[in-house]
Order: sequence, then structure tokens, then C-alpha cells
Amino acid sequence: MTKDLDEFRVSVREWCATHVPKDWRQAQTGVPEEEFVRFQKAWFQELRGAGFAVPHWPKEWGGGMTVAEQIVLYSELAAHDAPRLVLAFVSIHHAASTLLSAGTDEQRRRHLPAILDGEIWVQGFSEPDAGSDLAALKTTARKEGDAYVVNGQKLWASGAMHADWCLLLARTDPDAPKRRGISYFLLDMATPGIDVRPVRQATGESHFCEIFLNDVVIPADQLVGPENAGWRVAQETLGAERGMTMLELAERLGNGGFRWLVELCARPGPGGTRPLDDPLVTDRLAALETEVTGLRALCAELVANDRQGPADASIVKLYYSELLQRMTDFGAEVAGLAAHTELRKPASSGWESGAWVLDFIGSWEWTIPGGTSEIQRTIIGERGLGLPREPAGV
Amino acid sequence: MSSQIDDFSELHDELRAVARDMLAKAGADAALEWRLIARSGWLGLEAPGAFDGADATFAEVAVILREIGRAAARGPYPAVAVLGVGALNLLEPGPGRDRLLRDTVSGAALPVVVLDGEGLEDAAETPFRVTRTPRGPLLHGTAAFVPDAPGADRLLVPALDQDGTTVIVDVDPRAAGLIVTEQPVVDATRCFGRVVADAVGAEAVLRFAGDPQHALQCLRERAAVAVACDSLGLSETMLDATVAYAGVREQFGRKIGSFQAVKHACADMLVRVTVARKLVEAAVRSQAGDEPDAAVAAAMAKSYTCAAAVDITGKAMQLHGGMGYTWESGVHVYLKRAALNRSLFGSPALHRRRLAERYSPR
Repeated sequence: MTKDLDEFRVSVREWCATHVPKDWRQAQTGVPEEEFVRFQKAWFQELRGAGFAVPHWPKEWGGGMTVAEQIVLYSELAAHDAPRLVLAFVSIHHAASTLLSAGTDEQRRRHLPAILDGEIWVQGFSEPDAGSDLAALKTTARKEGDAYVVNGQKLWASGAMHADWCLLLARTDPDAPKRRGISYFLLDMATPGIDVRPVRQATGESHFCEIFLNDVVIPADQLVGPENAGWRVAQETLGAERGMTMLELAERLGNGGFRWLVELCARPGPGGTRPLDDPLVTDRLAALETEVTGLRALCAELVANDRQGPADASIVKLYYSELLQRMTDFGAEVAGLAAHTELRKPASSGWESGAWVLDFIGSWEWTIPGGTSEIQRTIIGERGLGLPREPAGV
Repeated sequence: MSSQIDDFSELHDELRAVARDMLAKAGADAALEWRLIARSGWLGLEAPGAFDGADATFAEVAVILREIGRAAARGPYPAVAVLGVGALNLLEPGPGRDRLLRDTVSGAALPVVVLDGEGLEDAAETPFRVTRTPRGPLLHGTAAFVPDAPGADRLLVPALDQDGTTVIVDVDPRAAGLIVTEQPVVDATRCFGRVVADAVGAEAVLRFAGDPQHALQCLRERAAVAVACDSLGLSETMLDATVAYAGVREQFGRKIGSFQAVKHACADMLVRVTVARKLVEAAVRSQAGDEPDAAVAAAMAKSYTCAAAVDITGKAMQLHGGMGYTWESGVHVYLKRAALNRSLFGSPALHRRRLAERYSPR
């Protein structure tokens, strides 16, 4: 078992040595969107050719790696500073897990191979008035014959301008209690009536989008799960999904982010002294390494364990988000003014790109979306610890 | 392979249940009777079968240690099982060592290893020396905060022999020239002693089977991981108690646990306990398997868990409100124990310094 893993590690290392594009960071810094998309799709196909694109999928759809193998794969990709699959993230994780657990055979056959061929997905969940209170969403889907007619507005749809398909939550029963009147749809982004507008974020990038939906027609066979069961479908698929995405991100943080932080601290600063010579700096590094080690063990357990606790995914999300924030904050502090001159980070890089100030600013993209840290704490308190619920809002 | 893991996890569940039950019966203010501990087989968990031991590993001892932390229990079990048995297992076999190991397992002897509780910068160092004289080998040196030294009937003192080898000197606590002074501490559940040896005649000078410096490092790592287990256990208890209290205590017409400020503080406690549990599990595993990364895992588990335990017990006192500040509530017992554990066998800063040595390879 261990011997097989060691052999696998060697083969991934050899693959990385010959396949990770040299100088991609420099080449991908400040590039136009089209070049980013081209690069991402080409890299996806490279990984796919090696069997590394969707290791977490079931074998019959092109995956089938054990958790231990996935950890080896992700740690080596990070250690060799391979580009991340940023563009296909929602496609290979959220879309695939939704289709696999709640989709019809027809929907799976239609989309899973297409995702491997480069089909890009976006998540259309949040709305201007439905953020933390996601179940308050107002976008409506009105049944008309064999189709639904959708009207409304989605927000924070990451990468929507490049998306071919959208995972859409819309209200199908306006009279039902808010969580029981929502349905889950697969929406073809080429359908007439869709308008996508990028929103500029704190980092200066614009990959979050608004999606305006104006009398958009969705055929009824694009419904996922039963009508009005969309909230449950979303909860089930996304909870299970969390561990899979975190496994990769935790290995990145350990083998990429933390390693760069140590390298940063080993370089002489403006006064000629190395941050590593300051015991306050090494103390914080050791504390961060300890926390990253804990995170990696936590993620491995979450993915390997088929009996997840009701708040396990929230614990990992909260802990990762805030650890990423502490780590990039420290990177920005140590890197000093020089880090403020890095105005762009390389496209396709991870959440810790080494452009520490932008990484730090960008870390709020983890503590706010996908359930804010406050929402996660409430979930952990109520579902994990069984504390009394908040009095119901009106 | 998985069935073996299942066997172990069943064994751990059983050990845990028995230990929790026995510790609960003993009550908060008394130590478990030593005979009872010996009869339960806890002292021989790591001893070979030939010495009436169970041939188990540190992982099983760790289960007991965590329960002792949960109960904030008194008594020298950690000192004897972790360090006493640990040291004896590392020594070259011989009639003296074998007899002492057998007596320790049966509960007839209560040997304590004289390790300075402060935690030394160099884990392979010892403050004791042996001089060879016509009167036989004599021991000199001082150590403070030696866990459970006052109740020991044998002292095993790591010392530097005249030829430069680290050895274990077996001394009688009542020997001439040896003074063991109790050092009372705020944490009333613990017992420490200062050990001063001034030309003390040794019962025996025992040699390590392997590299003596490595052996001494291992003992200190075991000591650190054992304290981390204790802090993990006490953190778990305090989280449970706080959640239970927040679920019944009412203010402003609501259970206080329904207030976000309280709920989120509990959530943070759970996150830290969860991370600590993973770090402690990894450290225990690598101690049990004598793995090459054992020192790193021990430093991580000790620094993180023992710092977290102080925050968690402090938050437990805060969330129990005025009630939590009373002597009667008992929260203070845990806060004091957590604060002591943080300083025992190396501060978080010391363990992080050890980790950080790896960032600048010389």
C-alpha cells in the first residue's frame, strides 16, 4: 500500500517535471481574459491526459483515485507549483457532484463527458437580497407547459462570462415556506434573455458577475431532483462537495503557500537582515505550520470518512478561510512595502500566489462567500453542538 | 489491515469507557487507588508480556491520559506510565531493570523519572552528573518541577556519566544527600518536587539499549505529548460543560446558547478542539510507531493543544458567567490545570523554536 503510493508519488513527480509549463506565472500575469481561458483549457487537457483532472470522480466517469492517492497528487502538484484549475473549479466539483448525486442518467451522460471536454459551469445561487439568507432568493421560475420561464437577478456568479452552463436556484412556489418553494435547474447560458455583467472586486479583478434573467426559458427536463426540492438538493450536494475541494486547497496551503512564506522569510529585507533571524517571525511561522498540518489532517479525515458529522464541512471551511487570512496577512506584513508594488497576481495561481498583499485582500473571498464565517459558526453551534436555534426571523 | 484498526478502536473504546467510569467513581478530590490502577492493567500497557504487561503501545496509554485530563484527575499515573515505564523500556535488560519493570507493572514499585518540568532548550541535556569514586558512583545535580517526585519510592535520574554517556541512575529517595522538596502549585490537582542530589550513592547505574541522547529526547517527547493528551481531554470536558450550560441557562427570556455571541464562541472552541485532536492523534501515532517525524509531531501537538486549552477553559469560565467564577463550579480547576500544562515540559514558544530550527538548515 505504502509502496504503491511511493511509486505513484514518483510518477506524479516525473510528470510534473516535464509537464508543468515553465515560467507560467510570469506569462500569465496581466494577460487578457481570452488568454487566461485558453491557458486554463489547455492545462485541463494536459491533466486529463494524465488522469489527473478529476481524480475524485467515480471510476466509470474518468476518476477513481483513492483519497491517499489524491493527497499525493495534490501535494505534488502544489510542490511543483502547477497552475490550478481555476476556470473548471465549479464544473469538476459543484456541477459534477450535483449531477452524480441528484441528476438523471440522461443529465449525467449529457454533461460529465462534456465537462471533461471543457464545458464550463457557474453557480447561480446568491442574489442582491439573498446572501447569507440564501433561502430568501426571489428569482422565479414559472411553469408554462413543458418549460419554466425564469425572471430575476443572480449575483457573485464567479466566472459567469466564460460559462456554458449554470447551476440555478429559482423559486417555483412563491406561497410555500421559503426553503420549500425552491427548485434546482441546469441552465444553458446560451439561452436568450440572459445578460452577464462583471462586477469588479476588492482585488481589482472582475471574475464575479451579475446575471440578469429576463423571460429565460428552461425545458422541464433540466430540473434536478423534484420540483420544490431544490434547497435540499443544494444542501446535500454542496455539503458533501466541501471536503473534495478542501483536500486540494489544504495541500496547496501546505506545499505552496507555507513553503513560499518560509522562502520569503529567508530572503534578506531592506536592512539586510532576514526575517528568519527574528524569533518573533519564526514563532509565527511555526504556529502557522502547526495549523496547516492540522488542517491537512482534518481535510483528509473529512474526505475519507463516509459518516460525516453534521457540521464537519463547516468546521473545515471556517478553519481554512481564517487560516488563509492569517497566513496571507502575515505574508503581507513580512514582505513589507515591496509586496504593495505587485499590482497583479498571476492568473491561474492559487489563493496564495506569493503576491501577499493581493492574496491578503483576496482572502475575504473565502471568509464571505459560500456561507460567511458567521453563518458557519452558527451552523457549527446549532448542528454540530446542538445549541438552541436563533429565534426565527420574520 | 482495516480489521486491525477496528480491533484497536474497539480496544480504545473499551479502555476509554472503563477509565471514564473509574475516574468518575474516584471523585474530583481523590486520586484513584494505585492498586486499582495496577489491577486494571494500565501500568503495564506498554510492557512486554514477559513482564506481565499487555504488549500494547503508547496509543493505549494516551487513551487513559486523555481521560485523566477530562476528569482533571490527581495521581502519579502519567509520571509512572509515560516516563517510568517509558524509561525502563528504553534500558538494556538486566536483573535490576527487569525486577523494577515487573514491580512497576504490578504496582509494587512507584518509580519516577527525574526530568525537569521546565523543559530544556536542548532535549538531550540533563542537569545531573555521575562521578566515579572509590565509594562507588555518586550523583550530583538539581531538577525542579519533577512531576510526582514527592510520592516516588524510586527515582530514575538521567545523568551524564563520567565517560560522557547519558545513563539512568537508580536512587532511593531516602538516600543520604538526596533532598526532595514538594513545590506547591496553584493547580491543586498536581504534585511537583524539587530534587537536589549532592553526592548521592546510586543503587545502580543503568544503560540505555540504544543511543542514549536519542533515548532522552524520546522521553521528553513522550512527556510533552502526554501533557498534550491531558490538555485535549480537559478542553473536551470544558466544551461539553459549556455547551450543556448554554443550552439550559436563560437570560432575556432565551437560552443563552441561542445568542450568536455565545454560540459563535462555542463554535470556535469546537474548531480548536477538532484541530488539536488531529495534531494529538498524529503525535501519539508517531510516538507509538517511533516514527522519524515524532519530534515534529510532538512539538506541534504540545504547542497548539496546550495553548488552545487555556483559551478554551478561559472561554468556558467566561460563558458560565458569574457561576463559572465560583470555586464551587469547578471551572477554575480546569483553567489552572490548562495554564500549568501550557508551561510544563516546554512552553508553546519553546516547541515552536524547535519547529523553526528546520526553516534555516545549517
